[in-house]
Amino acid sequence: MTSPKRLSQEQQRSLERRLKAGDERALGELFDLVAPWILGLAFRILRDEDEAEEVVGDVFVQVWRHIDQHDGGRGPIIPWILSIARNRSLDALRRRRRWWRKSAHVEQAHAAETGDIAPAAPHEAAVPGWPLHREVHAALATLAEEQRRVVLLSYFEGLSHREIARRLHQPLGTVKTRLRMAHQKLTEGLRHLKDWVE
Amino acid sequence: MTDWLGMLAAPRTPRPELKGRVVARALARRRRWGGPLAAAAVITLILGGGAWWAYRTIGRLTAERDGLVTRVQALEDTVSTFIHGPATRLIQIPVSTGGRVGSVTIFADSARHRWLVRCDGLAPNARDQAYQLWFITDRGMATAALMPMDQDQPMVMGLEMPRANQRVMGAAMSIEPRAGSASPSGPMVFHLLL
Repeated sequence: MTSPKRLSQEQQRSLERRLKAGDERALGELFDLVAPWILGLAFRILRDEDEAEEVVGDVFVQVWRHIDQHDGGRGPIIPWILSIARNRSLDALRRRRRWWRKSAHVEQAHAAETGDIAPAAPHEAAVPGWPLHREVHAALATLAEEQRRVVLLSYFEGLSHREIARRLHQPLGTVKTRLRMAHQKLTEGLRHLKDWVE
Repeated sequence: MTDWLGMLAAPRTPRPELKGRVVARALARRRRWGGPLAAAAVITLILGGGAWWAYRTIGRLTAERDGLVTRVQALEDTVSTFIHGPATRLIQIPVSTGGRVGSVTIFADSARHRWLVRCDGLAPNARDQAYQLWFITDRGMATAALMPMDQDQPMVMGLEMPRANQRVMGAAMSIEPRAGSASPSGPMVFHLLL
């Protein structure tokens, strides 16, 4: 098994500076580092390889064109890119849901969306960012089952509080409380993440 | 901190051709905008420069036109006063210079003590000579104007008449050295008592 590498804050800042300077090689390097995670996130949300690849393309276009909008002082670049990937994926998912509603395939869609999430298989450990993947999973594992459930529905499916309550047959207030407590725990558990540890 | 939750999903190794496709697409977007933006900047600069030049030129020409209009109006007023004034007397004198026939026309305004003199058809002077116009007064000849003529074209001038104890009785014109003379010394073009 290949030993994972470490991308320090300084390396991240250097990569960001080169991207802002329009260095095209830096874009290729960024792809090597984060594309597996963007593709994994998009695939987790969309469950479709072609759509997930489309999202990867959209994300890199947006990052390349709007890298100046990222304020390095407010946090590392990787979470910023992941949030773009999530938003793009959820946009695609919502478009698909509208199409499904028109096609009366709502039940099939729900069946496809309710899968839980598990850590990746060990053969993926050479992928850059692997230790961070494990740390985020560890933080998620500290949550109670019902809290984890609402976090996943909110994050990966982009459901509103009301939609989660309807899906889980729980009162709206309960869902809000669980999400608030889950976010507090996750914030505490992931506070130490500054470098993009590989 | 929940931004890191994106790392929960298992990574997926992209297909080998995806990198080239994605990078090319991202770069194409930026390049696609680069050309038109540069062209727009150049066009804006050219239009801006042209507009500034036009603004300056129009301003300069407008000021010049206004100045000319003022001068023309002043001249019209002057000429009109000479020609149509109740105390103006018109004297036309046929002359012959260098074998050519011409004329000298005098609008004599006795109220303002001014003359407007127009010379037509006078032969151009030799390089060292000039026409000199004289007032004939009761105290002798007094110089009125020195008129070097190098080109064959009409000449118009306004003259102040001598006032101090001199009564103008007539006018004369002679050909004098280029610098002028204190009294007529050259050939006389005309000599007329009014």
